[in-house]
Amino acid sequence: MDQFGSIRTPDGRCIVIEIDRGIVSDEVLLKTCYWFSRDFTCETHGRNDQLAEVVLTPRDSTTVADPASTKDAFITSAMDFALRERIETKTSGIRDVLLAKAFSESGVLEDEPLGVFGDAVEEAKTDGMFKILGNPRP
Amino acid sequence: MTREFNSLERFAPAPPKFHLLPFRFTRLNGKELLVNETGEFLFVPTGTVHRLTDERLDTGSALYQDLKAKQFVYDESSSPLLDILATKVRTKFDHMCDGTKLHIFVVTLRCEHSCEYCQVSRQTATRGEFDMSIATADRAIVMMMDSPAPALTLEIQGGEPLLAFDLIQYIVPEAKKLAIERGKDLDIVVCTNLACVTDDMLLYFRDECVKVSTSLDGPAFLHNKNRPRPGHNSYEKAIEGIERSRAILGMENVAALMTTTAASLDYAVEIVNEYVRRGFHSIFLRPISPYGFAVKTRHRTGYEIESFLEFYKKGLAHILKVNRGGYRIAEVYTQILLTKILTPNSTRYVDMQSPAGAAWNVLVYNFDGDVYASDESRMLAEMRDWTFRLGNVHKDTRRTIFTGDPALQLFRASCNQSLAGCSDCAFQSYCAADPVYHHATQGDMYGHRPTSGFCARNMEVIKHLFSLIDENDYETMHILWSWITGEQVTREVVACA
Repeated sequence: MDQFGSIRTPDGRCIVIEIDRGIVSDEVLLKTCYWFSRDFTCETHGRNDQLAEVVLTPRDSTTVADPASTKDAFITSAMDFALRERIETKTSGIRDVLLAKAFSESGVLEDEPLGVFGDAVEEAKTDGMFKILGNPRP
Repeated sequence: MTREFNSLERFAPAPPKFHLLPFRFTRLNGKELLVNETGEFLFVPTGTVHRLTDERLDTGSALYQDLKAKQFVYDESSSPLLDILATKVRTKFDHMCDGTKLHIFVVTLRCEHSCEYCQVSRQTATRGEFDMSIATADRAIVMMMDSPAPALTLEIQGGEPLLAFDLIQYIVPEAKKLAIERGKDLDIVVCTNLACVTDDMLLYFRDECVKVSTSLDGPAFLHNKNRPRPGHNSYEKAIEGIERSRAILGMENVAALMTTTAASLDYAVEIVNEYVRRGFHSIFLRPISPYGFAVKTRHRTGYEIESFLEFYKKGLAHILKVNRGGYRIAEVYTQILLTKILTPNSTRYVDMQSPAGAAWNVLVYNFDGDVYASDESRMLAEMRDWTFRLGNVHKDTRRTIFTGDPALQLFRASCNQSLAGCSDCAFQSYCAADPVYHHATQGDMYGHRPTSGFCARNMEVIKHLFSLIDENDYETMHILWSWITGEQVTREVVACA
């Protein structure tokens, strides 16, 4: 199934790309459009619950020799941003803890961040990595 | 990557499940390049990121072990080892510690050169009203010492600061006296074109441990074209000044910087050769700044970023060739970026920091007492844009400067972690936010990355460096590492060249 259809507008100037909203979120679409905004003006609209439509209009300084490769580049970029979104979803919690931990020990934060930061196994060892790296607590 | 150990299955069963740690990625040279929160990276086959997010990666594979070792994943047999990761993150942000370290004193706007790309609005050499007053110098010294940083650098510049040598003779001992009282280390550098330097001045610098930084744009024809002065002898004066400075201060206390103008673009090799001929061991292939006079004269001195990148790559290739021939010379921009890419450390180079170094790590005290967030901020003020004037030494304290609206506006746009286009970028850990540049070039401190010259330059330079890393040529990597560590390239490596 072609999830990403594309056509040219009747005047042949714009490139229209259909995007499956089940694969590419609105935020991902905006991030993709952001990086194409140097060469194109980008309009997005939801056709229905399943499909979004992106219209890329080349800026005056931009020549589009091969619309198919522009479409490929847009879809590749969108899929990469979709992957980044999934990574973000899976790791944002641990990232927050990591940064809180890093800066709590630099004295930037007034309070210790909530959560468990050590490794229980390492902590139990008298010469464990946690003991070596951990800052002395008052 | 080859491994000489037995497979993991010989020692322990592969873990059934793994979890992701935060990372960003991009595609380069037909591979995926993964970079984690601490700047550690790994080239992996295309499709790896997809398999990682789907949790379909073979946990018994060598690839999985590499990902685990570089802390892109963890499993039940390991722990997230957050303490180690947090330590690495903190090390990456080390430049934020302590407060402002670099303090630039603009002691005069007077100058006898009339460089087209000059970053200040120079005044004629006789107009003394553009000199810093003693009262302003006193206040600026106190404000500098109010920084919590235990080690400070005082950079004295102009205009041509040697035209106000009596003021230098006042500032240096006063700053030293207060530094001793406050228990701070103090480095002092004078940025001068050396055209009017005398032996008496140099003897004073020697006795006061003051270093000299000068400009050398390349061979005579190029330097004199870029840096006109009465007599058309800027190059001859600079070379003579460099030699006398070295004789009195020592080689290690005299540095040179070049600026790349449109006229420089065809002469990357000649510029590098000039630095080698003059015995320098570092060269900074710097693009022209889009500020000050460079804006007025950009039709003559400016160029597209693509032209600069071509110049940089050609220059870097030649520098590597010179190193292979046995002469050690480092390219400073490459050195800075590689330190960020290949080591856990941050660098003190204020133009490539996030949060941005402007104000946080550098303050500029203009001759009239106005305090700016960076040298570039002051250049904007010379173009009647005072956005980054943070205050004045006669009216403000360090606290009011750092809590005032100009500083707070600047700080809001200072973290590339939260900027559109940067927040997802694989190179975020190595790159920077530059609100002053983006305000100057795009009228918006936050900037628009797809059309940003700053982004285009850094993205392309970092990609180029990663391509060199991926090629993993033994000699090249040995040379690049020597720039980071400061160690000499061994005879064996030179012999391979």
